[in-house]
Amino acid sequence: MYKYVIKRLLYMIPVLLGVAFLVFAILSLTPGDPGSIILGITAKPEDIASLNAQFGYDKPFLVRFFSYIGNIIFHFDLGTSYQSRQPVIQDIMARFPNTFMLTVFSMSAASIIGISLGIISAVRQYSVLDQVCVVVALIFASVPGFWLGLMLMLLFSLKLGWLPSYGAGSLKHFVLPTITVCMTSAAGLLRLTRSAMLETIRQEYIRTAKAKGASQSRIIWKHALRNALLPVVTTLGTSFGASLGGAIIAETVFAMPGMGTLITTAIRQKDIPVVMGATLFLAVLFSLIILIVDVLYAFIDPRIKAKYQNGGRSRE
Amino acid sequence: MAEQVLGVKNLTIQYKTDLETVYAVNGISFSLDKGETLGLVGETGAGKTTTALGIMRLLPERTARVSEGEILFEGRDLQKLSEQEMQKVRGGRISMIFQDPMTALNPVLTVGTQIGEALLLHNEENLSQKEIEAKVEETLELVGIPKERKAEYPYQFSGGMRQRVVIAIALICNPELLIADEPTTALDVTIQAQILAMICNLQRKYGTSVIMITHDLGVVAETCDKVAIMYAGEIVEYGKLKDIFEGEKHHPYTVGLFGSIPSLTGDDRRLHPIDGLMPDPTKKPEGCWFAPRCGRCTEKCRTQAPPVWEKDGHQIRCHLYDAEEV
Repeated sequence: MYKYVIKRLLYMIPVLLGVAFLVFAILSLTPGDPGSIILGITAKPEDIASLNAQFGYDKPFLVRFFSYIGNIIFHFDLGTSYQSRQPVIQDIMARFPNTFMLTVFSMSAASIIGISLGIISAVRQYSVLDQVCVVVALIFASVPGFWLGLMLMLLFSLKLGWLPSYGAGSLKHFVLPTITVCMTSAAGLLRLTRSAMLETIRQEYIRTAKAKGASQSRIIWKHALRNALLPVVTTLGTSFGASLGGAIIAETVFAMPGMGTLITTAIRQKDIPVVMGATLFLAVLFSLIILIVDVLYAFIDPRIKAKYQNGGRSRE
Repeated sequence: MAEQVLGVKNLTIQYKTDLETVYAVNGISFSLDKGETLGLVGETGAGKTTTALGIMRLLPERTARVSEGEILFEGRDLQKLSEQEMQKVRGGRISMIFQDPMTALNPVLTVGTQIGEALLLHNEENLSQKEIEAKVEETLELVGIPKERKAEYPYQFSGGMRQRVVIAIALICNPELLIADEPTTALDVTIQAQILAMICNLQRKYGTSVIMITHDLGVVAETCDKVAIMYAGEIVEYGKLKDIFEGEKHHPYTVGLFGSIPSLTGDDRRLHPIDGLMPDPTKKPEGCWFAPRCGRCTEKCRTQAPPVWEKDGHQIRCHLYDAEEV
């Protein structure tokens, strides 16, 4: 098991290098340069050129790429923002806690709501509760996040005045963005849990358990849930990772200073160090989350655990 | 007369969907005494498994319906029991061995847990956790699995070994009645004999009654006291092993079944199947279900449901023996 984890950690190196190269290439090969964006279109070409030279943007693409990677590896330095002239890591650390909190809040709420309602829905298939759940989940899965965010804002901030509509000062600020992100994920999780559970309770080993005289609740908790949980855990992990970088819509709608808005603004301003730093930071987190999910698998399913212990070779 | 364990009377089961009604089991009756083995023989789709699931009350809730008949087990009609009472019966008093050992075990629980669970659920003697563990080990050894393997998972076992685990689950509570639903169909022939011998030994040891569901007449000859031949949800012939294998009179379907066994001594180069296919179970015929495939079919067979001819407990549902009815 340890071997497996170490192996997976080592695999992360080529993945991160690949991500870095791709993002760096896209940023460098698209038109525009940081100097002219900062100084504006009225600036003199010499000024722009000297500013670009100051950033090192005048050097060839590959030279810049390798010096950037070298700085990270040998000096643990993510560079300095072209715009704020501050170390990139400071920019990230100023924003990341907001995104992290939003993600943790919304994903915990989404898994509690989605998984529990999904189970109930599957167990009471065709009941009124099940039908209501399915319809409501379908609505929330289809409604765009920005629309939901705006509607929530309209109701709770504008009409009722209960909650702030923008910013990230206190816990109150997190309520509406959390609901926005949570509802879409919860709807997806509900649908997934329900279908996974329905498939599991039709399995023959569930009939074996019934034939043993096990009660309905025992069958659900002891026999079905663990088997049904595998696809749910996968999705939960990916949406957790995606939400860390991709709560952009909620962050934009609620003007919350988070990672999503940091990256989008930096892309528009051609602030290469910030885009690179933030992307790599999220890529590391994402890879770690996927690794955690894969390790969780081993605890859910003994067959997968055996596979890991065999160094990835399957016995069956 | 020995004590009757199970009495099934006029059991009728249908699967109903919006589109059609499947007549899966059509008024079958049989009884089983203590320590006896009844063979339920028939083709795929004859209603054997439906009968077994009906006794266990494990039929799919939404579609299946027991429309008629009663299932008396130790004097009580199982259909009138509440779900809680039925849970006590299932696994404790009546247990079942399923057809496919590859899918009948939960992949994420150890075999020891799965065997022990049956005992844990029917723990009438208030055994401690330790005593249950000891009993699990004892049962594993009984079915021929080293007790050290109880902490292993189903994927670590071969098909034959998994079937032993399934049997251990069924036997750990010493049930009165064991329903074995084609316990050897999914296994290869060498393992088949071992598993059958094991079931028979255990049956003798504990005086368990067994319903052996199978389509293999060889299995029937080796294990059963009584035989019920099923066709399209009806019992077409019913009697003691001797009646079926050596009796003079038979239902044409039984004759066909025996005729389809390939002979080792004869010179035949071809197999002798029963011509035709099972009838569509959604269309109840006016006459005999077997008429379209029967070599001795008469006009009467197509229009009138056949009566039951009986002699010393040997029953045949066919017009051929009408005249001799007493």
